[in-house]
Amino acid sequence: MTTTGTPSPGATRVGPARRPASAPLRVLTVVALVAGVIAIALIPLSATPYTNYQLSVVAAFAVAILGLNIVSGYAGQISLGQSAFMGLGAYAAAFGVTHGWPVVASFLLAALLPAVVGLVVAIPAVRLRGNALATVTIILPILAVPLAKRFSDITGGSEGLNVDWMHAPAGVGLDDDQWRYYVVVAIAAVLFLLGRNIVVGRIGRAFAVVRTNEAVASAMGISAHRYKVLAFTIASFYGGAAGFLYVAVVQFASPDLPNFLVAINMLAALVIGGFASLWGSVVAGFFYVYVPVFAGAVDPSRTNIFYGAALLLVLFIVPGGVSGGVSRLVRLLVGRLFGRRPPARDDDALTDPQPITSTQQDTAVPDASPDGLRSSVGPRKEVP
Amino acid sequence: MTSRLSVRDLSLHFGGIQVLDSVGLAVEPDTIVGLVGPNGAGKTSLFNCISGHYRPTSGSILVDGVPTLHRPPHRMAELGLSRTFQHPALQLDASVLDNVLIGAHTRLRGGALSWALRLPFTISGERRARQRAGELLDHLGLAGVADRPAGSLAHGLHKRVELARALLSEPRLLLLDEPAGGLPHAEVEQLIETIRAIRTEFGLTIVIVEHHMGLISALTDRVVVLVQGRKLLEGTALEAQRHPLVVEAYLGRTAA
Ligand SMILES: Nc1ncnc2c1ncn2[C@@H]1O[C@H](COP(=O)(O)OP(=O)(O)OP(=O)(O)O)[C@@H](O)[C@H]1O
Ligand SMILES: [Mg+2]
Repeated sequence: MTTTGTPSPGATRVGPARRPASAPLRVLTVVALVAGVIAIALIPLSATPYTNYQLSVVAAFAVAILGLNIVSGYAGQISLGQSAFMGLGAYAAAFGVTHGWPVVASFLLAALLPAVVGLVVAIPAVRLRGNALATVTIILPILAVPLAKRFSDITGGSEGLNVDWMHAPAGVGLDDDQWRYYVVVAIAAVLFLLGRNIVVGRIGRAFAVVRTNEAVASAMGISAHRYKVLAFTIASFYGGAAGFLYVAVVQFASPDLPNFLVAINMLAALVIGGFASLWGSVVAGFFYVYVPVFAGAVDPSRTNIFYGAALLLVLFIVPGGVSGGVSRLVRLLVGRLFGRRPPARDDDALTDPQPITSTQQDTAVPDASPDGLRSSVGPRKEVP
Repeated sequence: MTSRLSVRDLSLHFGGIQVLDSVGLAVEPDTIVGLVGPNGAGKTSLFNCISGHYRPTSGSILVDGVPTLHRPPHRMAELGLSRTFQHPALQLDASVLDNVLIGAHTRLRGGALSWALRLPFTISGERRARQRAGELLDHLGLAGVADRPAGSLAHGLHKRVELARALLSEPRLLLLDEPAGGLPHAEVEQLIETIRAIRTEFGLTIVIVEHHMGLISALTDRVVVLVQGRKLLEGTALEAQRHPLVVEAYLGRTAA
């Protein structure tokens, strides 16, 4: 997980969206979306309070992992510190609540304070060479836990901070677990929508080219530094907002959240769910919450085995993670059903977990980085 | 009238290797200048200096009279400079259209918040950029593959995608590094026509690095010959091709 190099650009690795096949695909997407929204709205009415609680925690982690996805999946900068921002957001939310702040004010504090911290950390970190951001971000959770314990008058020390809020308003006819579910899922949905808007347009294209080729980015007027800082700041914002959601559900902020292992597991869940994919972040949220439930029910060490196995599966068999695999499968099926050719590059997409390399086709691209813009001089084209 | 591009006394070292040695070059507006020379002569390195990717050891570079040496490469686009790369550097997984749209970056406005909230000006900007990109793809014969992943295209087409990407930024000065590299002979004729057409349509000033002498003769007003980091001569394409030192430089290379 902690290896160097640019991550495989996940779900973008699917076959061509050929115009003819994309019409049924679009219909399918809309149908799935509508069905999903109805299911999401109805589930809490019949599910047990504990299920509602778990699903709300899934939503909180999906938001944190979406943030991680923006910096690591889309912009290609591995972060090992996302849990620190989620923890900071959780403490900030708990602080606001215990001081009688309005909910909106607590939310803003929970999201903006981590964003500012992220900005301050990223500005110097991106100027360092190589994978410096990853190295710097490791420090954050390692610092956060003792700091949280040290400043016990604000954080409640090792015990953490208990809060009592987010109760269902009288008259809506919902229990607390149902109410919290709706609040948390609604906020998460808005954050996902905003995230989607960021990754599809001008900003998302800049992230992608910074991830794949900084020389091209700069030739097109895009400052790699600037967009790395931006991605990291957005990730920190999402981490903080997720901390708020977490406290809304769990009613508790403790030093267990900004833990290093939480950050590692979020990153692993994201790789399994799918880098650079919005669905991948949702899948990762489920994975993060439910794997320990299933595996750890017997023996907590099984969680790690499960993660390890899933990671290997993704790295060697389904690059692009669950979301990439599913979308490829759907395209393939839609293609078959509607008599279209399957995606052209499906085979090498299945065997090539590397980032963009020179092996994509037989008329090989000599070199993914342009024209000697590397640290050393590589082989040169021999065409006279 | 100031030159669109003016390179003076430019030298570049990498450790002990002298890659460029006091190179001078002036490119007047609306002209096409060819940059030729054997492999390893320093042509691409000169481009990298102009685009800000390499920092020269000494000398100066001016674009429309503005000194550029202390500008980071991402601030060259605002001076109207764009370039393609000798080895096409596309995002192979992204669609051709998305690759080209990167070129619209400096033409679009608004930061992450504006785009997250889909403020009206971002939507209209995006629509215009896509329309413009579509026209360029059409122009370059890529309309049919706009939605295909760039990696699924034949290598020869990569250069055209790069050209479309560079043009979308609406440059005044365009650097093309071996646009005919790897193209079959028949397609070079077509490329010559394309470059002619875009040059007139966009009022471009172009510097072309190219080994294909037919293309150089057909397109360039002037040619600069670079050998081992030094400017050997400057003249018309014909003069350059006939010059004994050039012949020797090229034959010397083939013999080596
Ligand atoms: N980043 C670098 N570090 C060290 N040496 C370099 C670097 N870039 C280029 N060089 C050296 O500079 C010399 C000129 O290279 P350059 O790529 O500019 O040649 P060129 O004229 O473009 O050749 P070609 O026709 O093969 O593309 C070569 O000897 C090359 O090895
Ligand atoms: Mg070259």
